[in-house]
Amino acid sequence: MPLIELKKICKTYSETKVPVEALRDVDLQIDKGEFSAIVGPSGSGKTTALNIIGGLDDPTSGQIIVDGHDISTLKKDEMINFRLHHIGFVFQAYNLIPVFTARENVEFIMLLQKISKEEREKRAIELLTAVGLADRIDSRPSELSGGQQQRVAVARALASHPSFVLADEPTANLDSKSAISLLELMEVLNHEYGMTFVFSTHDSRVIKRAHRVITLVDGMIASDVANNAAHED
Amino acid sequence: MLIQLAWKNIWRNKKRSLIILSAIAIGLTCGLFVSAVMYGMWDTTIRNTIDKELGHYQLHSNEYKAENLITNYIPNGETVIDSLQMQPAVVAVSGRTIIEGIAASPTSSGGVRIIGIDPPDEQKVTTLYQYMKQGTYLDTVKANTIIIGEKLAEKLNLKLNSKIVLSFQGLDESIVYSAFRIQGTFSSESSAFDETTVFVRQTDLFALLNHPIIFHEIAVRLDSDKELTAISGQIQQNFPGLKVETWRELAPELNMVNDMMSMYLYIFLGIILLALLFGITNIMLMSVLERVREFGMLMAVGMKRIKVFFLVIFEAIALSLAGGVIGIIFGSILTAIFAHVGIDLSIVGEGLSSFGVSSMLYPSLPWTIYPTLTFMIIVTAVISAILPARKAIRLKPSEAIRSF
Repeated sequence: MPLIELKKICKTYSETKVPVEALRDVDLQIDKGEFSAIVGPSGSGKTTALNIIGGLDDPTSGQIIVDGHDISTLKKDEMINFRLHHIGFVFQAYNLIPVFTARENVEFIMLLQKISKEEREKRAIELLTAVGLADRIDSRPSELSGGQQQRVAVARALASHPSFVLADEPTANLDSKSAISLLELMEVLNHEYGMTFVFSTHDSRVIKRAHRVITLVDGMIASDVANNAAHED
Repeated sequence: MLIQLAWKNIWRNKKRSLIILSAIAIGLTCGLFVSAVMYGMWDTTIRNTIDKELGHYQLHSNEYKAENLITNYIPNGETVIDSLQMQPAVVAVSGRTIIEGIAASPTSSGGVRIIGIDPPDEQKVTTLYQYMKQGTYLDTVKANTIIIGEKLAEKLNLKLNSKIVLSFQGLDESIVYSAFRIQGTFSSESSAFDETTVFVRQTDLFALLNHPIIFHEIAVRLDSDKELTAISGQIQQNFPGLKVETWRELAPELNMVNDMMSMYLYIFLGIILLALLFGITNIMLMSVLERVREFGMLMAVGMKRIKVFFLVIFEAIALSLAGGVIGIIFGSILTAIFAHVGIDLSIVGEGLSSFGVSSMLYPSLPWTIYPTLTFMIIVTAVISAILPARKAIRLKPSEAIRSF
């Protein structure tokens, strides 16, 4: 069974005078362990697709099944709870709570899940060590570089033991070195721990490393190809 | 966790938080101090009235309450006094003889209430002897001495050792005249009392009336007024033929002020908090609008809307309480300082004394104001944060994350 399944997903924005069809009859399946990128030009619907997979937006029609749950029928608070337990997020920017340290940011998700203090602290240190920030545990976001902040965001995304991680343009605000370093980290997590990553991106560095590239154009899947070169790497 | 996050969030913009915090602190410092002055003023007035004049409660014959004639005295007054002195919680008892009469000098005259007292007994019940301005209290063995108010002395153009003629109706309805020598003058801070009340010794009064001493009024002082109603109820049961009244019944206008004092305080402080509410709402709205993306992120990663709502509420409470506590501390310090040294309002003493209010004010506050004010601050904070909190939870995470 696929981890994520979109069935005839349509999304139309009616707020403007002329309704905008962001997604049109999109059928998509993503399996566990994938390292896939949804790509396309601006306005292609890739962010909308990611938002719908993450339950941040509701489809106008269609069905979306995530980890065996039909999330298109969930109420707002049920969806928030579902995201907490099943989905990890890495955003382009403003991922972290500025007043919390790196450790507190990672612990925050586990706090929301009502995990015990002892376990939270242990796991937070483990995750920050895994992302290479063992020496920056007590630093605040303002004391970290952009790349380091994104690493903390990855650690936080993994803290809740999610089924998969959605990353919306995670390298957009990073310099080349930081972007490559971040992507290598995510690859390691995918390869060694089997964590599923789904990106929304137009960064060629991400596309190059993705094992599968799903291209959206005008709200429809134009192509869906395996990136064999990335697999071999 | 929410509280910790809320506390840290309010210090993200230190300048802005300090401004609103200072506004709350200054507002409450001033509000508390002014409230303490008002409360102290009325509390002092009530205490003075009890101390100088009324005592905690008084007994009269029922007939005297209907018509204060000299013949409507308390039957077996001495027995009543002896019985009262045996009561627990009774500190002192003073029997008074009260006669309405005229006081005259060579130049003027005026209606007065002539109160015949036993000076040692009276000094244990009231504190008027502490307010002598000239001369001495009625403590000499000289016959026909009198103490009068400064206002009356001024009106009759009399001074210490002057002669004053009292005329009044006797028990046999005949008119009695006698001259008294002014032994002392008092100023009780109530100009009405000072102008219309004179004190003489009971022994002198009844020598003129040619009658054994009788009492029209028995004033009682208790060790505290905590069980005033219970004790007066008990006394009433013991003496069903007499009218027993507490100071609350004897001075209903003061009783009303006493009951309303606390309410006035809370209304006054409530008005200050209402004004501050708008400032806090403004600050919280600005804070939420600045953090739209952050709130979007929080809801996206799994923070329930109710928690986001309470986060904003807790931020407002933290900010308000921080300012409130500082305001309460400074207000209390200011009150304590002036409670010790007093505020001298003698410049407007004349006006104040016409209301029976002392010109030396000692601010004070009931202890109950502190927990109540703290609760009011929290309520103000919650109300002020509702609009910003609603704004935060109505954000759509997908749009908020991408806002600028």
